[in-house]
Amino acid sequence: MTGSLAAVRWFRAHDSLVGVTLLIAAVCILGAGTADRFFSFNNMVNVYEQSTDLALVSIGQTLAILTGGIDLSVGSLISLTSCLTSGLIDGDPSRVAPVLVAVLALGVLIGLVNAALVIGLRVHPLIVTLGMSAILQGVTLFYAMGPVGKVPRDFSFLAYGRVGGFPLGATIAVMLCIIVALLLRYLPLGRQIYAVGDDDNAARLAGLPRSRVLMLVYGCSGFCCAATGLYLAARFGSGQPYTGVNYTLASITPVILGGTVLRGGRGGVVGTLLGAFLISLVNNLLNFMDVSKQYQLVAQALIIILAVSVYMHRREPT
Amino acid sequence: MTDAVTQTAEAAARLGPLPRLRSSVSRFGIFMLLPALVLLGGAISSTFLSAGNISNLLLQLAPLGIVAIGQAFVMIVRGLDLSVASTMATAAVIATGFSGSNRDVAMITVVVLATSVAVGLLNGVLVAKRQVSPFLATLATMILLQGFRFAYTQGAPSGNVPPLFRVLGSEKFYGIPYDFAILLVLAVIFWIVLHRSAFGRRVFIVGGNPVTGRMLGIRTDVITIACYLISSCLAGAAGLILSGYVGLVDNWVGQGYELDSIVACVIGGVSLKGGRGSIPGALAGAAIIMVAANEVLLFGLPIQIQIIIKGVVIVLAAALYAR
Repeated sequence: MTGSLAAVRWFRAHDSLVGVTLLIAAVCILGAGTADRFFSFNNMVNVYEQSTDLALVSIGQTLAILTGGIDLSVGSLISLTSCLTSGLIDGDPSRVAPVLVAVLALGVLIGLVNAALVIGLRVHPLIVTLGMSAILQGVTLFYAMGPVGKVPRDFSFLAYGRVGGFPLGATIAVMLCIIVALLLRYLPLGRQIYAVGDDDNAARLAGLPRSRVLMLVYGCSGFCCAATGLYLAARFGSGQPYTGVNYTLASITPVILGGTVLRGGRGGVVGTLLGAFLISLVNNLLNFMDVSKQYQLVAQALIIILAVSVYMHRREPT
Repeated sequence: MTDAVTQTAEAAARLGPLPRLRSSVSRFGIFMLLPALVLLGGAISSTFLSAGNISNLLLQLAPLGIVAIGQAFVMIVRGLDLSVASTMATAAVIATGFSGSNRDVAMITVVVLATSVAVGLLNGVLVAKRQVSPFLATLATMILLQGFRFAYTQGAPSGNVPPLFRVLGSEKFYGIPYDFAILLVLAVIFWIVLHRSAFGRRVFIVGGNPVTGRMLGIRTDVITIACYLISSCLAGAAGLILSGYVGLVDNWVGQGYELDSIVACVIGGVSLKGGRGSIPGALAGAAIIMVAANEVLLFGLPIQIQIIIKGVVIVLAAALYAR
């Protein structure tokens, strides 16, 4: 009896995870009925590999959204970091390690600047990161007006390499996600992210270190963007000044599909990872069904509308 | 009205000198920044204040101004409309979807209006009836429209814009652009709607505090949906005008207008949290964006600077209004 009660309670607490898992299962069943090769191991690994970039950005975006904020600077930051990666390495294998570290540090730094502006100017993160996005895009265009530099063959291993049959990039994304999930659960600062997102005022009155929480969150988001930039540079072989544009809004979809609430305070990164996988899965299935790229956009929009209006309806209106 | 002014003044007096300065700056700063920018432009570049340049500025201002009016309505009811650019592009694609002669102007207008109403209704219903966050609801309609547009044009739109739209979007009557005249008319109409009508008062109440609104017997959902309708219909109109300005069509006519219109509103004192804002403010915000962009070009600064300046202005302007 208590066992089943605990199970019920677990389902209640993780209803959004259950939702996205059910959606994935539904798409898998639909796919298995459509094409033989869809549910094969190789295709699933492909889907897993194709979700890498979206998963990486969305992990950071999840944190920002959990605090009730949002990070709209991700797209430009990805463009900037991918340009810097290939431009600075420029085919020289000996520069890979220092550039890698520098780019990741730059990502964190820009995230910290975002947080500092949000805290210091008391401006909504939406506006701060939107402004930062324009600034970073301008800087990126100063650095490069077109494709810049190239990465050595070894570096492309990050995007195309397989370790024990599994794609390296995607596995790194999953590990990052697990680490962040553990931090959210066991680190005091991680738990305080939820408190700040749930009720900013109450968190402040309770004496929670709001500034430190925001620094952590936007710093993490910057780090994730830099990682995505590195990945894209490895995948395309060179950075382009507009590589990241679409990620700004695209990074929000998996977060929402994974059950994180835009108002903040509820959700988690594991759902986001599943959300990114779901999007990749749907795109893959639509490819199998010979649906053209245009209708894939329509399908994606319909999934968002469906998912959010179902999630929203379950909660009582405010 | 006077009550509000005295209340603000009292609040400012209680706050002391520095916040008082901040408060008056945030009330009137926007209307001081615009002339300052114009004077700066005149001082540095002799062509800036020439009749030709001013009239070109007004010509380019009109589409953004029209979109910003609609965006202001949505933002005042605590919303956000990310679908405006997609609506504009769709209107432009529709404008070239017929034979390209003036015979089809009425037909085009009807189709664009129907599309805009559908978009506005979808946004409004998702937000007001299903409690979907405005950001997401309008993001989804944005992608949805984009998909339909790509499917319809197969990625390569073609065709001609009817001459009438060409005239409205790019020509001038004794130096006054037609589209600027349209903007002025729309601005006056929607200024009356927002600031001088019962509906406008309800818009502010719903945006300021929806619960109070409901208790007062206001149909908050109807007001919200109406605001999204206004926004998408104005975006449709702006799309037609912009297609006339550009003269040819691609899938991305109006790209960037969703964020630019939000920025214009924020610079113009429309609160992201809803309940505060004005049409003149939003228009002044739009004008500041256009003047700044124009000056960067006239001063011969690199185009990248333009984007960076926009970013800095966004953050600084919002910081002025923060409390």
